[in-house]
Amino acid sequence: MSNNNNGANMAWNDNNNQTPPELDEVIKDFKNKFNSTFGGKSSGNSGASKAAKGSLKYLIILALIVWFATGIYIVDPAERGVVLRFGAFQNSTTQGPHWHIPYPVEAVYKVNVEQIRAAEIGFRNVQNSYSGGVSSESLMLTKDENMVDVKLAVQYKIADAQSYLFNVYNPELTLSHVVQSVIRQVVGDNTMDYVLTTGREQVAQEVKVASQALLNDYNTGLMITAVTMQDAQPPIQVKASFDDVVKAREDEQRYINEAKAYANDIVPKARGASQRLLAEAEAYMSEVVSKSEGEAYRFNQILTEYTKAPEVTRERLYRETLEEVFSSTNKVIVDSSSNSMMYLPIDQLINSSRTSKSTSSSSSFQQTLSGNSNDQSVLRSRENR
Amino acid sequence: MKRIIIVIAVLVAILLSSSLYTVNETQVAIKLRLGEIVSVENKPGLKFKTPFVNNVVSFDKRIQTLDSASESFLTVEKKNVVVDSYVKWRIVDTQKFYISTGGAMASANLRLAQNNQDALRSEFSKRTIIEVVSDEREAIMASVKAKLKTIAEDEYGIEVIDVRIKRIELSQEVRNSVYSRMETERKGLANKYRSEGAEEAEKIQAFADKERTIILANAYRDSEKIRGEGDAISASNYAEAYSQDVDFYSFYRSLESYKKSFSEQGDILVLNPDSEFFRYFNPTK
Repeated sequence: MSNNNNGANMAWNDNNNQTPPELDEVIKDFKNKFNSTFGGKSSGNSGASKAAKGSLKYLIILALIVWFATGIYIVDPAERGVVLRFGAFQNSTTQGPHWHIPYPVEAVYKVNVEQIRAAEIGFRNVQNSYSGGVSSESLMLTKDENMVDVKLAVQYKIADAQSYLFNVYNPELTLSHVVQSVIRQVVGDNTMDYVLTTGREQVAQEVKVASQALLNDYNTGLMITAVTMQDAQPPIQVKASFDDVVKAREDEQRYINEAKAYANDIVPKARGASQRLLAEAEAYMSEVVSKSEGEAYRFNQILTEYTKAPEVTRERLYRETLEEVFSSTNKVIVDSSSNSMMYLPIDQLINSSRTSKSTSSSSSFQQTLSGNSNDQSVLRSRENR
Repeated sequence: MKRIIIVIAVLVAILLSSSLYTVNETQVAIKLRLGEIVSVENKPGLKFKTPFVNNVVSFDKRIQTLDSASESFLTVEKKNVVVDSYVKWRIVDTQKFYISTGGAMASANLRLAQNNQDALRSEFSKRTIIEVVSDEREAIMASVKAKLKTIAEDEYGIEVIDVRIKRIELSQEVRNSVYSRMETERKGLANKYRSEGAEEAEKIQAFADKERTIILANAYRDSEKIRGEGDAISASNYAEAYSQDVDFYSFYRSLESYKKSFSEQGDILVLNPDSEFFRYFNPTK
């Protein structure tokens, strides 16, 4: 073990030639070291410097261990580790724990190659909610000199970690530029109606293919997984007139439907009315025919009886008729052989006969026949009870 | 003794740090001695240089993007368009690059940008807006790229990888006229739909009215026929019966009409007792 020697050199040499100290000696040395650094009792110059030399040795060993430890790193399953030695590419590592020679010899860059990232063209999403269009990015010209407002969402991932790190400065910005350029080229090759309606999927697909080709040309190491057209609209300034066209289409349909409803209303009604006309005519016909048959039959019956005894039947019928007529009307009997003037208050008769109509009695007026008087006759009404 | 060793160790460290340098995968470097180019280091890794005599300048050798500000150009129709483009370039001849630009990326970008704008301006001035937007977009970009390629390689040691137009925008007045044209076009379309709808509706209604009139007219005709038939049959019945004894018919029928006519309480008959009915009334006769 270490001898009680004076001088730093000897202790240094001795330590170089010694075998590693035993454990309790190590602990004793560390205690000494702490005492010397934190103001413990100094056991003389040589003791202090020896303790200092011992602690320096252990400090260096500690530092070396820490330095070595910085070389440990872990690669997640979705990542790749790219190791550079003195700046030159050394190798790439996959998932798991690894060790590289610590800085400044080697350095590792970890790149996530599975995560799907998003790029937005023409709009910005803030915290999962649509925050609005960026019209300088989204307005573009079509083949027929019209303008459309197109918003794209691009999804991509890092396919090749080395290319991503070493080939292009700021690959994400490059992707954004490329997609902006390509979408305008594709939209510029098509008409506005195509882009806004039937061609959305096709346009998105063309953008994906062309953008990927350019990204490969530049060797960015990025791979586009999907391009979707978030929105394709006419510019806001003309949106109202576009909406009106849709309304006009609906109006056209509505006019036609209203007319069809009208037709479906009046034609069946007309058919119904025509049936009614026919039914009424047939009813009239059967009514008239039956009536005529009945009356003819009745006449025939009575004619038969009449021909058997004409005079008697004639007289009887005549009397019966007049009986019926006279018994149900008001009568005034006037003798035309007398020369007196008569005053018939026809109005009064009509009025009084009307009021007494409700009772089933008939009133009769009589004038005396002894007409030698020149004064007006008196008419008395006598009610038969 | 120990102190000397420490000093020696420190000196060695200083020496080492000033004679070693690294070139990254993304970089390319030039070793200079007192302002003169000694060598070009393209491969990455750990390199040596003479301390205090050599100094090293390094550049990013990756593909750079020059995104110049938008410029407005005139087309052949004398219309203003605002164009935003980008150029993708990288250093290929490091020596030439350093000599021509002094090693400053900014000045390289500036020179490239000027050349780019000039080339674009001349391309745009030969074409119409439609050609620029769709038909000849690729041709313009290829032509500008070719022009820039030769200039850049000859003069700056730069390889131009790609030139692309990011945006072509119309000036405000032209845009407004485009908007108003789009609006009138849409208005025309809307009017067409509405008037076509009205036309079709009118047709349907008129046809329905016609059908209705025909149906009713036919029904009237048929009903009149039936009524006529009925009248004919009944007339023949009457004639057949009454013509058996015309005299009796007129007597009988008159009696019926007297009965029917004079049946109201309100009726007043003024009678002459000389009539047949009163034959037995006045006993003097």
